[in-house]
Amino acid sequence: MIRREISTSTRIVLGGLSLVILGYFYTWLSDSRHRVNPNDRTIPSWSQLGEAVQTVVTPHPRTKEVWLLDDAGATFYRLFLGLLIGVLLSVFLGVMMGCFAPIEAFFLPSLSFLAKIAPTAMLAVFFVLVGVNREMYVALITFGTLPTLAQSVYQAAKKDVPEELIFKAYTLGATHAEVIWNVIFKQILPRVLDAIRLQVGPAMVLLVAAEWMVASEGFGYRLRIFYQRTDMTVVYVYLIVLGITGFLIDAALNWTRRKLCPWYGD
Amino acid sequence: MHDIVLECQGVSHAFGKHKVLYDVNLKIARGEIVSLVGPSGCGKSTLLRAILGTHPPLNGRVLMNGVAVTKPGRDRGIVYQRYSLFPFLTAEGNVAFGPMLDESTIVDRLIHWSGWRQKREVHLKKAADLLQQLKLAKAVHHYPAEMSGGMCQRVAIAQALIMKPQILLLDEPFGALDEATREELQTMLLELYQENLTARREGRTPPYTILIVTHELNEAIYVSDRVIGLTQYWAWEGTGPTVAPGATIAYDCVAPVFHPDEIRDFSKFIQQREDLRRIVFNPEPRYPREAHLNFWSDVDSGKALGLMQPLDAQNPS
Repeated sequence: MIRREISTSTRIVLGGLSLVILGYFYTWLSDSRHRVNPNDRTIPSWSQLGEAVQTVVTPHPRTKEVWLLDDAGATFYRLFLGLLIGVLLSVFLGVMMGCFAPIEAFFLPSLSFLAKIAPTAMLAVFFVLVGVNREMYVALITFGTLPTLAQSVYQAAKKDVPEELIFKAYTLGATHAEVIWNVIFKQILPRVLDAIRLQVGPAMVLLVAAEWMVASEGFGYRLRIFYQRTDMTVVYVYLIVLGITGFLIDAALNWTRRKLCPWYGD
Repeated sequence: MHDIVLECQGVSHAFGKHKVLYDVNLKIARGEIVSLVGPSGCGKSTLLRAILGTHPPLNGRVLMNGVAVTKPGRDRGIVYQRYSLFPFLTAEGNVAFGPMLDESTIVDRLIHWSGWRQKREVHLKKAADLLQQLKLAKAVHHYPAEMSGGMCQRVAIAQALIMKPQILLLDEPFGALDEATREELQTMLLELYQENLTARREGRTPPYTILIVTHELNEAIYVSDRVIGLTQYWAWEGTGPTVAPGATIAYDCVAPVFHPDEIRDFSKFIQQREDLRRIVFNPEPRYPREAHLNFWSDVDSGKALGLMQPLDAQNPS
């Protein structure tokens, strides 16, 4: 029946089954390729993947770099700093737009316009305007996520808080600032956290694309180097790391939402 | 000389060409529980919003204790039918919300953490005590989504009353509740009225003044000591306006006062209900607006009941 709940154990079994099928399919595909060419590295075998893991976690004999640590450090620094600034600016702007009509009237047209442009199409603009340095990646993520995120927050602040609650807060003695902080922000917080969660993926796309083009360290850079060598072993390892990281960020934001907004439910 | 809490002077309002309220004049004395009834779309909510100060009238003014209302303020409490509570706060948090705003600022709460925590404990204790009085001790830590509609409205009333507002505005507060819960909350209003009578007998200021907007005639007559009918169906032709001028008060009379323990006997006010149907709800206008505004003349002649009755005429039992 539509929307009938299933037990937790059934959910775990079904989820595990999908991963097993994925792993089985990959193994079958890899075996097929290796039967034709035992040295194939486009769909690496599990042992090749093991070697790749060893490669990325072991200091390089010449440069002493640990690729995974260095690349993860560079990528995640850019990602989290860019997201942090982007989220703070977006939440502030979105809430202000949802509360004050003049701010809404001023920012909404330009934000709507910018949100329609694919952020990756703006990469060239950022390369030229900010230069190819760490600040560029941070600015890229900040301004790449801001139009969409600010609009989500604005919609929530404007539509998700009934005016009755705002009037009631005033009758209880709230100032404008208290209405914004203690009523509007508190009520839209779960929506804001969901909107941030949805922006992590696009921010990652943007960052990896930029690193692919111009970086000298980071996941995007390493993926490009190994792609050019047609050696997908490290590429797959990095993809798995990216997938696990995305999953962990998602889980952390979900956990944060449940802790901060227990009233919101799942 | 009556202690007038709320006064509407010539309040008129329109939305574009659609005229809603016409020259509404109203005085509510401290301690009264007044019901406002009227046909759908007659402007009850518009009048309530004008009193609340969120939507000021185009003409006329609303006075609270003689001061013109320009915006919502803590002298007027409000309980709505929907969205009556902050969903992100527990029952206790909702009731403690007003004291929190009263006794601290955002800076106190964010920076002066230890001082704020002490105050907070006092607020929460006060809120929990009030909830216990209203038979909600078990729901203190529940969120609105975890409570029934009746419990939510009870908490909403506590949330407003803890602030000791000059007047409490109830906007169809029991409209979405089942019959049993509604009766329970009606009884609660009667208990508040009894507290007013006791206070008056003891020479104290009656603590609760309430204006309740309802579409339920039995409820209006049962819970209040005065019923006001706002209607667009009044005989306005020949009185000045050339087009339908909107709703005005065409009925203002005393209502019987019931004790909370008294058995509900709606037959006692069949006549008043029929009068309201005829004067306020009948779409064929037959009466000039002044014809049934008897409340203040009944008060002056000593015919009024309850709180407006002269003290020596009351039965102290």
